[in-house]
Amino acid sequence: MQPSFTEKSVWIQLVSMLVALGAYSVVAGVMLSEGVDQLAAFVPLFVVSVVFLVVLQISGHTVAAITARPESPDERDRLIRWRSESNSSWIVAIGVLGGITALVVAVDPVWIAHCLLLSLFVSQVAAYVFQLVYYRRGMQGVGGV
Amino acid sequence: MAKAKTTIRNQIRVLRFTHGEMTQQSLADRIGVSRQTLNAIELSKYSPSLEVAFRIARVFGEPLEAVFQHEPEAN
Repeated sequence: MQPSFTEKSVWIQLVSMLVALGAYSVVAGVMLSEGVDQLAAFVPLFVVSVVFLVVLQISGHTVAAITARPESPDERDRLIRWRSESNSSWIVAIGVLGGITALVVAVDPVWIAHCLLLSLFVSQVAAYVFQLVYYRRGMQGVGGV
Repeated sequence: MAKAKTTIRNQIRVLRFTHGEMTQQSLADRIGVSRQTLNAIELSKYSPSLEVAFRIARVFGEPLEAVFQHEPEAN
């Protein structure tokens, strides 16, 4: 079945996030492995990645809107989003706890910042994947599983 | 991967057919959901809210129970 505009939007957000923040992760990983320990050195790379992410999302949504009638999310879209975000929120919690633990044992701030960023990134990717699974597999209503 | 089926069955497909072969898009527009959501409801892959269920029944001029039936899960 042809996906709805909202489902296409989830695909666009997932792919653009994997491309833009995936690229950031690779470059930042190389910088960290080479011993760069100043957070400020990562700021330009992060800004470029976010701008790239926004450009990808705007381009993707423009193409999706041209090829199919844009629709507002309905009750099923909202329920799928809420449930997916609920399912993936524990990843951020683990990242935050990991960050606090790293603070206690005096890990370099650049590693703590990237631990938090990575947990946000993975949590959001997981939320998108959950949404796509629910769209394809189906789901029960508010009281269901 | 197993498809998630709800315990709510419905007669929407039959009712669409008996109401001038109404299209999914036409019915979806009248009740304010996407065609994909209506399709998921028809296939019992999504249980709609009471509000949407009543809107569907009203379009067909039928009581709610004529459109939706609850099937208790077998233990």
